[in-house]
Amino acid sequence: MDSILSEKHRVVRRSVRRFSERELRPIAKEIDHEARFPWEVVEKMGRLGYFGIQVPKELGGADLDSLSYAIIIEEISRVCASLGLCVTVHNSVAVYPILAFGSEEQKAEWVPPLARGEKIGAFCLTEPNAGSDATGIESTAIKDGNSYVVNANKVFVTNGGVADTCLIFVQTNPGADRKEMSVVVAERGTTGFVVGDLEDLCGMRANPVSSIRLYDCRVPLKNLLGQEGQGLRIGLTALDTGRIGIAAQSAGIGQGALEEALGYARQRRQFGVPIEKHQAIQSMIAEMATLVDASKLMTYRAAALRDKGKPFSQESAMAKLFASEASSKITDMAVQIHGGYGYSKLYPVERYYRDARVTRIYEGTSEIHRMVIARGLMK
Amino acid sequence: MHIIVCIKSVIVKAPEAGMVRSHDSTELNPFDRPVLETALRIKEARGGITTALSMGPESSISVLSEARAMGLDRGVLACDPALAGSDTLATSTALAAAIDKLRPFDLVLFGTRTSDSDTGQVGPQAALLLGIPLVTQVHSIEYIDSGLYVERTVDGFIEKFELSFPAALTIHPASVQPRDIDLADIGPAFEKQDTKIWNLGDLELSPDQVGDAGSPTKVLSISKSKRHKRCEFIKGDTLEQADELIKRLAESGMIG
Repeated sequence: MDSILSEKHRVVRRSVRRFSERELRPIAKEIDHEARFPWEVVEKMGRLGYFGIQVPKELGGADLDSLSYAIIIEEISRVCASLGLCVTVHNSVAVYPILAFGSEEQKAEWVPPLARGEKIGAFCLTEPNAGSDATGIESTAIKDGNSYVVNANKVFVTNGGVADTCLIFVQTNPGADRKEMSVVVAERGTTGFVVGDLEDLCGMRANPVSSIRLYDCRVPLKNLLGQEGQGLRIGLTALDTGRIGIAAQSAGIGQGALEEALGYARQRRQFGVPIEKHQAIQSMIAEMATLVDASKLMTYRAAALRDKGKPFSQESAMAKLFASEASSKITDMAVQIHGGYGYSKLYPVERYYRDARVTRIYEGTSEIHRMVIARGLMK
Repeated sequence: MHIIVCIKSVIVKAPEAGMVRSHDSTELNPFDRPVLETALRIKEARGGITTALSMGPESSISVLSEARAMGLDRGVLACDPALAGSDTLATSTALAAAIDKLRPFDLVLFGTRTSDSDTGQVGPQAALLLGIPLVTQVHSIEYIDSGLYVERTVDGFIEKFELSFPAALTIHPASVQPRDIDLADIGPAFEKQDTKIWNLGDLELSPDQVGDAGSPTKVLSISKSKRHKRCEFIKGDTLEQADELIKRLAESGMIG
């Protein structure tokens, strides 16, 4: 696979792999079990540029391209998907919309601490009654003097428990067209900004997914991102990019599960030979490897198109759909190859299996992606 | 202070005769990473500049770029078709010529070995050709006004040496933990390409000193060694089995 990448991208991969193996491999099981956010590693990653992957140098970022971004997310997720999730969401749907839609003043204020990982970002769209239909949000931001008075109930916020800088999707004119939503940036610590309990999730347990509620929270008017009514466009633009990250994450989970399965199939003996000698196991391994390969190729293509400044929305949607569905199949086969041990917490494949499942749900379900892809073809 | 670090682009696949180094089959020798770290720490403590030097085809520019991403100031590649097939002596000859051209320098650092050929000869041979003092397997360095105190552990003893500049060291791979590359440094190191490339003429060497012609060692063939492992069950009752086992072990010289 790496033979199609440039030397720069291969060095990006090797650097992230070395870091992930040394810093994340030893703790991945424990932080999943304890549902603990590993600040000690996150701080190191912040100093190394992981939280500002595509942020320009002058704003404190690493200024890398989308392909590098995909490789970085893939490599972190190969070892620890929870942290891959933290990094991709922070970069693609929290920092990127500020870069794309923020004023110079907003970028200068918010981006540098985010890019250094000193502050963590979150994307707060989903509500109890608004998920796939984002226009159903009921949160409001009503102008009052120099502030918006924000009332919002956001759920399943990735990074929610540790987020400092939150993009909150709201209606500024509740009676108007529901598509006329807006985005305000609210900072943790503002009066009325409340972080709810962490969700007790099936997978991605080291990510502090939580609800975030704003009660009569006064957010300065200058914290409006873009224009009033531009929220849907901001959200969709962010998600186009975010999908590359989730596709890369899924490919990374698949790669990790494949490696575990290969290792186990070599050492586990049944009927007098390692089980890798059995055709039924080989068949699964071939299927897994092919799915991983296709996931990576689709992801890299979407990223490369974005780097060339070409349309990539359709390709990123297809990559996300394919790679997320593939990661569920791959991790399922990895559990199957491990047999009873695969169902035990003694081996990491059960974690990969749990982590993979949500990639088909967040940043747009598989069903929404099929709708988006079909609409793209029927224009 | 000018520190030169010699690094190698190693082949990551299993070795076979006549292998050609290419972009996707090579990476920075893992034993060189602690050496680059050592150079950076000396520079941070004493100031000066650092040069990464390698010999190989053009694809080796990648490891020099990686060294620059890690923090080294510049890269130099000895690259000429006539260098192909060089053994350790011919390699040391080319590196010594390049180091000579990089004068003035204070320290030349090498890894102790490479992951693809593992001879450990290049550092010592190059130091000999340059006529400078060498300490191998160094694991600790202390700065003094006239040069360095260095330590190495060998055969259960710690040896401490005083060195004056210029000098050469091979750095023990476990002596320091190499730093992680800051992602922000990767782009510039690969996109702003200013690696110096020196051919045989630049190195003032003749073709008979290097490559196949200048190599007294000829690798005739490389093949995978086979491990011979045999399992035999000793028959009889427990006492007979024990007696037979002791007899066999004594015969093989493992006990007695």
